[in-house]
Amino acid sequence: MSETPTAITPRQRLRRLPGRAVGMLLVWFVVTEADIPSLVIGVPIALAAAVLSVALQPRSLSGVYLPGAIRFARFFAVNSVLGGIDVAFRALGPRMRLEPAIVHYPLRISGAFPRVFFANTISMLPGTLSSRLTSDTVEVHVLDCTRPVIEDLAQVEERVADLFGAQLSPHEGGAVL
Amino acid sequence: MAWQTVTDWITYALFAASGFFFFAGSVGLVRFPDVYTRLHALTKSDNLGLGLASAGLAVQSGSWVVAAKLLLIWMIVIVAGATACYLVANSARNSGVEPWTGGDR
Repeated sequence: MSETPTAITPRQRLRRLPGRAVGMLLVWFVVTEADIPSLVIGVPIALAAAVLSVALQPRSLSGVYLPGAIRFARFFAVNSVLGGIDVAFRALGPRMRLEPAIVHYPLRISGAFPRVFFANTISMLPGTLSSRLTSDTVEVHVLDCTRPVIEDLAQVEERVADLFGAQLSPHEGGAVL
Repeated sequence: MAWQTVTDWITYALFAASGFFFFAGSVGLVRFPDVYTRLHALTKSDNLGLGLASAGLAVQSGSWVVAAKLLLIWMIVIVAGATACYLVANSARNSGVEPWTGGDR
């Protein structure tokens, strides 16, 4: 997988337009709670928003892969619950079990948007919080370094890659400091 | 049991769970030892607490569009929360705030 963000041609931008327009319309429809008369304003605004968003799209393209997105949503829902329970028990327990550490995790996923998405996902999942994103690693603060943190992060990264329809090479580990 | 009663009880259960996680997150904010561990408490409980509250409201609305709107609101709050969390953690790291590593409290 190449690391350099590919420049996108006007034709590629144009090809993104219909999907983006449908997405914007859907958001309008939901925000106005299916108010049909409001579409008089909504349709032009949604189209204008779609044109703007395609025109302003940064260099690297990252399309979402629908089956991967569904798998990601399920994974995220289950782990949000686990993350909430985990932190609740640590906060309410009489002897707060905390073994914090900083972990350097080498990134495999490419593209600016997928990387930011991965860093944000880390912060929402059990016991991990991203604190620095560089060009090749993400620095993660973990609540409990006795858990297999690197393996957990590798799994999250694979889920995020799946969401963007990408494959990852086997992970090479990171360092727990 | 009337359908209305069933949905009401589902909402009560979801709200109770939501309140529990918000409460636990607030306790964590007070008890945890440093800025990083406190961020853990806040982000996770916001994510789950608001998700459960939105689900409880969605059950009451009885409308797919309103449920979708609640889902959208939840997603936007999650993105904002994760971004704010990163900014706080990152600026703490950049200004040299050392993570707490146990021992004396």
